Amino acid sequence: MTTKHGLITDSFKVVKKARRGAGRKKRSSPPPPQKGTGSQPLEQALNHGQRPRQISSLWFSESETGTVREEELQKHKQFDLDWRFGPCTGISRLQRWERAKLHGLNPPEEIRDLLSQAHTDAEYNQSLWSGYPL
Amino acid sequence: MVTAEAPRSTLPRTVMFSALSAQKEGSSLLSRPASEDQDQGPVFERLSLAYSPCSERYKVGERSFSRQYAHIYAARLMQMRPLLSERAQQKWGSAVLIKRLCDLQTAEQCCIVGTLFKRMELQPSILREISDEHNLLPQPARAKYISETDELILEDELQRIKLEGKIDRDKCVTGSVIAIYGAERNDGKFTVEDFCMADLPPQTPRPVLSSDRFVLLASGLGLGSSHADSMLGLQLLIDMVTGQLGDQGEQSGAANISRVLLAGNLLSQSTQDKDASTKPKYLTKKTQAGSVEAIRLLDELLLQLVASLPVDVMPGQYDPTNYTLPQQPLHRCMFPLSSVYPTLQLASNPHIANIDGVRFLGTSGQNVLDIQKYSSMDSHLEILEETLRLRHLAPTAPDTLGCFPFYQKDPFILEECPHVYFSGNATTFESKLVKGPDGQEVLLVTIPEFSSTQTACLVNYVLLNVSRSASRPSPPTTTRKAR
Repeated sequence: MTTKHGLITDSFKVVKKARRGAGRKKRSSPPPPQKGTGSQPLEQALNHGQRPRQISSLWFSESETGTVREEELQKHKQFDLDWRFGPCTGISRLQRWERAKLHGLNPPEEIRDLLSQAHTDAEYNQSLWSGYPL
Repeated sequence: MVTAEAPRSTLPRTVMFSALSAQKEGSSLLSRPASEDQDQGPVFERLSLAYSPCSERYKVGERSFSRQYAHIYAARLMQMRPLLSERAQQKWGSAVLIKRLCDLQTAEQCCIVGTLFKRMELQPSILREISDEHNLLPQPARAKYISETDELILEDELQRIKLEGKIDRDKCVTGSVIAIYGAERNDGKFTVEDFCMADLPPQTPRPVLSSDRFVLLASGLGLGSSHADSMLGLQLLIDMVTGQLGDQGEQSGAANISRVLLAGNLLSQSTQDKDASTKPKYLTKKTQAGSVEAIRLLDELLLQLVASLPVDVMPGQYDPTNYTLPQQPLHRCMFPLSSVYPTLQLASNPHIANIDGVRFLGTSGQNVLDIQKYSSMDSHLEILEETLRLRHLAPTAPDTLGCFPFYQKDPFILEECPHVYFSGNATTFESKLVKGPDGQEVLLVTIPEFSSTQTACLVNYVLLNVSRSASRPSPPTTTRKAR
């Protein structure tokens, strides 16, 4: 654990002005592995109940995109697990959507719109089980 | 001497080339050869026709094998379900209930649509072979893998159910998509009262043509084999087609042959030398593969043909191309002499071609042979008709026949009905005219293996009949002319 996350004292930024939570270090558990996209120190700070003031404006938008992203991924997962459109492993979500469209199964249009926005993000494009081998 | 005649039992009479020559005033072969300054004799023009290969369907672009075969089954069911629902309503009334397996209720008469699976005990299973606990030796290859203990199961997207009743278990094969009418019993099995298949797809009508036109179908040339029996027959066939054989009657007849289609197994099985692959490299380094010489021979033979008329070459089981269906066309680098000519068309297996408005569809016979092994049907013609009625070229495809893992569509589903449907490398020549429910007419042809039977087929696609063209003298029987 420590080799991955460094020293436990590195897990949150020491900010001079807001050191209220300094005493609370020990009760919080090591931060769960977060998705790499959010800024790590910020999210880890949030986990520890700290609210560094100078980036408080950023904090609102980050959580928004965090939950929006969560919702989108949830929709994609539901699309993957929908049995009407056939198996989801081994092909990308867009390919599966195209196949469902081709056979007249009426896949939801919003999945297509979401997929066309996220171009390179593998978590959007590949299926739920893409991390596992064949 | 080459003779062409119809098997009298089944088909109407066709043009017989030698009969044409007999009608002329005396055979012109018996006259003095024309001297050089005189007219060399009549020149017969071969008609060049509209030809469009529909080859994109079977071209495999990016070959990604990192997929399971579940996709091709899912795509197959997705495509065939609406067709089967329509057929079911036509057959059993529009009020028939078409249900999914998860919605079935006991003792309710309804119709279910799904993919058949036949559980066969004797089917070779790789898992059983490599399993140490059973200590089994690999099973020897058999002619047929059916047995009395086989079970039929119908699968749809979510569930499967065992079938019993009025369905011929031995005739069915895994992978066919059918609709079944019956009811579920108390013990969970489904009693079949009737079933129906997707039947023939829609067909565009044939164009009306004035004169008789022919296509020569041949397969199983078997070059490069240890015994070169068929070389004389092959050379005779080529000479007949290119008009170098026979007198003017024969030649004018041969000019009506607009195309030659070679349906697979151009090389013989002995070129696939399995020993060379298992021997260590230092023993095999200096020896050439058996297929190199055979391909050179094929190139020379094709050169004679393509100089005179267009030729379609389809690969077969023993030819140097990929193993899985659809087999990709042979590469043109193997034919340095004949690929210079634009008349050489290297085709895939299966092959669809539109010759003069007439649609030809066929395979080199692997699909038919595979179905023959896993069902009780023996006649290639019967199996060919069965695949046409099922509307699927190779229903056993991912299960027991090698196939590429398609995901979007199943390219073996027949979307448009062909006019001539053939399969190569059969044991005998057989043909039949099949009529569909919506007025379709299809000529089924099983092309015999040339290396053993010395027989090719001449299809008259104007009249939709076919005659056998034999290249060797045969013992006198009631249906053949000995020469």
